Amino acid sequence: METRETFAGLSGWQIGLWYALIVISTSIFAWGVLRLVLKYRRGRGSLPGDRLPHRIARTARIVLTHNWIKRRDGVAGLAHAMIFYGFVVLFIGTGILAFQDDFAKPVLGWDFWQGPFYLGYSLFLDVFGAFLIVGVVILAVKRARKPARLDYTRVDGVASRYERWRYQVGDWVFVGSLLFLGVTGFFLEALRIAETDPSFEKWSPVGWVVGQGLIAIGVDGATASAAHFRDWWVHGIAALTFVAAIPFTKAVHMMSAPTSIATRNDMAGKRLVELPPNPKPEEVGYGVVTDLTPAHLLQLDACTKCGKCHEACPAAASGYPLSPRDLVLDLREQSEGTYGIRGWLTVPPLFASDANLLGNPIRPETVWSCMQCMACVEICPVGIEHVPIINNLRRRLVDRGEMDAQLQTTLETIYDSGNSFGEPKRKRGRWAKELEFEIKDARKEPVDVLWFVGDFASLDPRNIRVTQALARILHHAGVDFGILYEGERNAGNDVRRAGEEGLFVDLAESNIEAISACEFDRILTSDPHSFNTLKNEYPALGGSWDVVHHSQFLLELFESGALTPGRQLGRRVTYHDPCTLGRYNGVYDEPRALIAATGCELVEMQRVRDNSFCCGAGGGRIWMSELKDPDAPRPSESRMHEATALDRVSTFVVCCPKDVTMYEDAVKTSGHEGEIEVRELTELVLESLELEAVRVGAAEPDTEADSA
Amino acid sequence: MRTVVCIKQVLQLGDEVEFTDDGLDVDPDYLDPALNEWDSFATEEALQLRERLGGEVVVVTCGPKQSEAALRRCLAMGADRAIRVEGAGRDPFSVARALADVVRGESADLVLCGVQSSDAVQAATGTALAELLDLPRAAVITKLDYSGAGTAVVDRELEGGLVDRVEIDTPAVLTIQTGINQPRYANLRAIKQAEQVEIDVRSAAGGGTPAYRIRKMFVPERGEGAEMIDGSPAEIAARIASIVKERLA
Amino acid sequence: MSVLVIAEHLRGQVRDVTRELITAGRELGPVTVAVIGQEPGSLVDAVNLDGVAEIVTVAIAAGEFENDAFQAAVEALIADRKPRVTLLGFTVNSMGYGPAAAVKLGLGFASDVHGVTLEGDAVIATRSFYGSKVSAELDFPGADGVMLLLRPTVWAPAEGAGGATVASLEVAASPSRARHRELMEATASSDVDITQADFLLSIGRGIGDKENVEMFRELAEKMGATLSVSRPLVDAGWMPASRQVGQSGKTVKPTVYLAFGISGAVQHLAGMKTSGTIIAVNTDPEAAIFNVAQYGAKADLFDVAEELEKLY
Repeated sequence: METRETFAGLSGWQIGLWYALIVISTSIFAWGVLRLVLKYRRGRGSLPGDRLPHRIARTARIVLTHNWIKRRDGVAGLAHAMIFYGFVVLFIGTGILAFQDDFAKPVLGWDFWQGPFYLGYSLFLDVFGAFLIVGVVILAVKRARKPARLDYTRVDGVASRYERWRYQVGDWVFVGSLLFLGVTGFFLEALRIAETDPSFEKWSPVGWVVGQGLIAIGVDGATASAAHFRDWWVHGIAALTFVAAIPFTKAVHMMSAPTSIATRNDMAGKRLVELPPNPKPEEVGYGVVTDLTPAHLLQLDACTKCGKCHEACPAAASGYPLSPRDLVLDLREQSEGTYGIRGWLTVPPLFASDANLLGNPIRPETVWSCMQCMACVEICPVGIEHVPIINNLRRRLVDRGEMDAQLQTTLETIYDSGNSFGEPKRKRGRWAKELEFEIKDARKEPVDVLWFVGDFASLDPRNIRVTQALARILHHAGVDFGILYEGERNAGNDVRRAGEEGLFVDLAESNIEAISACEFDRILTSDPHSFNTLKNEYPALGGSWDVVHHSQFLLELFESGALTPGRQLGRRVTYHDPCTLGRYNGVYDEPRALIAATGCELVEMQRVRDNSFCCGAGGGRIWMSELKDPDAPRPSESRMHEATALDRVSTFVVCCPKDVTMYEDAVKTSGHEGEIEVRELTELVLESLELEAVRVGAAEPDTEADSA
Repeated sequence: MRTVVCIKQVLQLGDEVEFTDDGLDVDPDYLDPALNEWDSFATEEALQLRERLGGEVVVVTCGPKQSEAALRRCLAMGADRAIRVEGAGRDPFSVARALADVVRGESADLVLCGVQSSDAVQAATGTALAELLDLPRAAVITKLDYSGAGTAVVDRELEGGLVDRVEIDTPAVLTIQTGINQPRYANLRAIKQAEQVEIDVRSAAGGGTPAYRIRKMFVPERGEGAEMIDGSPAEIAARIASIVKERLA
Repeated sequence: MSVLVIAEHLRGQVRDVTRELITAGRELGPVTVAVIGQEPGSLVDAVNLDGVAEIVTVAIAAGEFENDAFQAAVEALIADRKPRVTLLGFTVNSMGYGPAAAVKLGLGFASDVHGVTLEGDAVIATRSFYGSKVSAELDFPGADGVMLLLRPTVWAPAEGAGGATVASLEVAASPSRARHRELMEATASSDVDITQADFLLSIGRGIGDKENVEMFRELAEKMGATLSVSRPLVDAGWMPASRQVGQSGKTVKPTVYLAFGISGAVQHLAGMKTSGTIIAVNTDPEAAIFNVAQYGAKADLFDVAEELEKLY
């Protein structure tokens, strides 16, 4: 009969000891998990548990398909899948065996672990065990080649409380122990086979091959039996140690990562969360470690230091003292050092429970360097929400008035005048009065489309040209639209991201009041920042409407025939996905379709779509003083190098007002003046429609192409 | 230690202007209110005194209901109490009389005002107030050294980069110049919470001759002004360079 | 219509504004100049200018200006001479006592006045409101006398010898509640003296960020200019006060004054408007600096600065 004896060669008391060790190991494991759960419960609020079946199903799908892990690194995805499935299968296999031995056979008298079942089981476990080892080896080799992503050197120049070499050692120990367990496991099998050599064990191919090898070198019979006994205990104790250590080591990600994914807020960063009404200072943002939500505390423990966020971050790449990875690890060290095992082991704890999160080693400059571009959140395989965490740290700083003087001035200006330029309110609609046709006042008459223009587009001279271009296109297409004139204030997206939540609410409420008094079907925005907040965040404050970005709207006009492309421009262009349009809201295709409609040839840069590289102005950074290493290129300059490296591309197309400003500047400062020009999407469309571009102040008649 | 800060909500004019029907003022539609810049420095100075010496900071303004927003800004910065007196004329002496009636009842150790307001630029209210309170005074202060009692030592910022160090008896009235400190940020949470605070509203007793009467307001004739250089930045730069070269030759 | 001018002096020198007050005053009537100081006699010659009918000296104990002492002296002078109009300069010293004397004596009062006329018996003063964008005519019905603080550099300083009679007035001494201790320079004098420069490149709030100072500093160096600034940049701590042009900073008169991003607040203009050639670059076509500049460009400062840099 094809089976094997479990606990072969162990005497009764040894089996008893084994079970005792299992109990000890499991207890330590359980205690570790309990500590973690208690730590998370200290956080503010509770873990999201809404739509539980949906969340579980979704998590299962993401974990089982490895969709998030394999992004931007297929090899790691494959190797990890091999490890994951190897581990899972071996775990289930052990479970089956335990069920058979400890319950099915003695209680139910049911012995199924034999015959074909046993053979199939053996084969399966062997193959997946082999996968496990191969996967570990692949990742070990990757790691040994010292990829930049796994370089743990801090970017903020601060010596960490924990030396980074400890991280390296920890990682290698983890890799090593998995390999050790796999190898000793196979040897266990091989030695058993070498001892008894049953023919059916060919169904455990790896073990069988190694076993034959052992026999060939004379390790068989009693030798093999003795070796098997020793190896059994080595493997067994190693395994139990591993299990007991899971909650205290990197291995915890096996539990924390799926839980993090399951409790993830998909709108994290895109829709920030309101403060409670009338908050006290200690309720505003994050100041001490227990201010974090349980989900965020959990996410800190889900981090496996993969470095993908660090790799994607434009601040880290441009010499700012910020790496999202370092921030997560610093917070984790503080969380662990206060309430985790490290906090428990050292007396007094490494961090006092009321220790300020900001101080050592997280500096305010680190927090202020973030552009809130979401590149980190986008790529994190375990769903860490770096952006809201940083935003909450900012909220506390702003509440205490600890910020850059320029940011303070800008926030005060926005509060006083409703715009970041300090221009009088009356000037907001001035751009419209310079056109040769009237633009309806949506406050006074009903319109189909209410155009929320935004600060930059209304008041910055360069961007006014784009706004006027869009107005001419809409007028030409016969769109019934109107604007709010002085009724419009700064939409508040960047104010919120800078951490001034109160001012955001004030701006949003006044805009909602103004918009609510109007009659219209849809809201059009020409600024992705306004687009994001109007669409995703205003509903929570009472303003829920159908909001569309001008790239989507213009495409609609083309597709419905209201606009017909005139001239095919024939330029070779590249397109920069704005963070708030692309990553935040998934609008990637419409701008590209528009570019195609104007007859331009699109040559993509390397970092496109969800991997687009931020211009550096987001998160309120455009209002703050410089924080980066003066020798490092600005993010916009790096991007310009990337664009000009493309073959014969003449035009850099953007569709965000801040991008227009940042990139026109970058063309000059990066030394590419004359090589490439920046055009807003609307300007390309205008050119293709052959409507005369209006110079500010001039009243020139339209010249329209013969439209078919 | 009690510091009283007299503040003003100023009205800022953009580049368009229309006058009221009587031609004596600018149409309010063209004016945007804000806290007078000098007064945020004065409020900050008072708050720093409180941090060092304890006590209370009281902000007072003379103005209509909408000027309460300026008081709330100061409350949000950290002031303890706010008083608004309404119904007085707008010239410096009428305002000073209205303020004096309030400040007299406050037994202040120091009364701080801004040097001037950005809309009227009289630089008179603070000193007139001091006279009505019969208190020692010093104007255009860029440094204040005060231990809470006795005399204070202040720096007056004279023209031409000179400073006059003065020893002044207290209680006293000081007009505060910009740059004396870094006014703290009043975050919106604090401003919103300040909206719940009750502001003490009083009526001005009135009486007394105003400092002046406005009989006409108008947009001044612009002189010929500069010869404007047109063109692209490159063209403008070239012209500037040639002018410079010619004049320095 | 009698006019009383209060002379302003510092460290034994009569200040320019006093001569400007004399020019303004003599258009209104016979001018009496009051010299209040510890040694007022030493300053008499400096104010004995064309148009001055009488000089009155008042001796006080204080070596330099003290507001209580000046106020007591001016009150005594007004009680004695009963002028229709008392003229002070709109200066830091005057701010310390002028309004006090006026409110106490029930005088009409206006400050930062840049125009004075008579309509019969009535004094009409012109001053700006709303940050210099509009002007207003003021009158003073019911007031016996009027005190005006005149904006410096509006009237030309009086010249020419006068034949004034000299008298003195005794004023009872009373202790000053604010006592002058010492005069100091606000800044270390080790930095460059912008008043000696032939060519100043001056930057204001319009440059936006602190980081942009560097670019203009480099441009100044290339063009052979000295970098100077307007007050807001000093208040923000971006540049030392020694570089400040303006009433509370330095008064400069270079051959060329090239201004970027300076709107032209009155106090700044007072410090540079007599420069040889003033060129201003500003995005705001209404900026007051264009009123005193000979050449102006409504353009983006950075674009023009970049282009300029290429030429040097």
